[in-house]
Amino acid sequence: MNKQYKQIGDEVWKNRVEKINAELFTLTYGSVVAQLVKDYEDYQEVNKQLEKMGYNIGVRLIEDFLARASLGRCADFRETAEVISKIGFKIFLNITPTVTNWSSNNKEFSLIFEENPLAEFVELPDDGAADELWYSNILCGVLRGSLEMVQMQVEANFISDVLRGDDQTEMRVKLVKYLEEEVPAGED
Amino acid sequence: MSDIKIQSIAIIGKQNNPLYIKNFSVFHPDLKYHYIAHTSCDVIDERVGAAGPEAADTYLGLLYAMEDLDVYGYVTNTRVKFVVVLSVTNPVKNTVMKNLFKKIHNVYINQVCNPFYNLDGKKSIVSKRFVAAIDAIGITPSDDDVSP
Repeated sequence: MNKQYKQIGDEVWKNRVEKINAELFTLTYGSVVAQLVKDYEDYQEVNKQLEKMGYNIGVRLIEDFLARASLGRCADFRETAEVISKIGFKIFLNITPTVTNWSSNNKEFSLIFEENPLAEFVELPDDGAADELWYSNILCGVLRGSLEMVQMQVEANFISDVLRGDDQTEMRVKLVKYLEEEVPAGED
Repeated sequence: MSDIKIQSIAIIGKQNNPLYIKNFSVFHPDLKYHYIAHTSCDVIDERVGAAGPEAADTYLGLLYAMEDLDVYGYVTNTRVKFVVVLSVTNPVKNTVMKNLFKKIHNVYINQVCNPFYNLDGKKSIVSKRFVAAIDAIGITPSDDDVSP
């Protein structure tokens, strides 16, 4: 099953994805974060804004993803995690974060990022950013937004980041609930 | 292995403002290298003026020599200057110096790509990673070829 996902991811990345220059992408994201920091001057607020931006990206990105990868529904949350890691991240960032640390009820997992193209060359400023800013927080929003569009409500947040001096960059993803189709109020 | 000994590395911005000066020598005080970097600015401006407007990343070679110290210069396209002071026993090959400047340039480029680094600021560079990289270059210069 896993090998299949990896192959699908590799194949889509190779053939059906247009590429852009990596430095341009990194510098663009860097200037977005730097500008947010300058505008809000409060790192918690910057984290929130990055997450919101990510949410807006995610709700749109999921359509692109489903069109490129033409997959069916995932059987369970474990499959969702594999698809996110081996196909989702592969198609859009050409990385495959490792899925680990499943909780006992299979509703939470961690993504470990060995490389993070968003954070190339970045060094956090000394003024407390290292304790408060999650530089790649936009990714949490992207996951939340895209999974909401496929009827899953999740919470995603970083718990460690090499930019902050931690050993690895790790994001925790929790499934809150499956969203049922809501019957519009007028019908019975 | 070459027998050059780097005494100091200085990086000077385009308005001749010092961005970073590091003294590796145990014999001379820091201030001496500040003076040297300062006088190097004038020599560089002279040489660059003579070279004309078409200059690319320019390795300027030996700017001047004094007592037991040789001063080498390098100017980038963006008019950022690198000045390296050596104490040498034998004449140093150009290729060795060019490689050295290329390495320093790469470290500088990595620093500039940090979105939180303010390029227009008059302040010196304080990033730990930059300082560590320059230290590494200063302490063990080697003859490896460097890719950009």
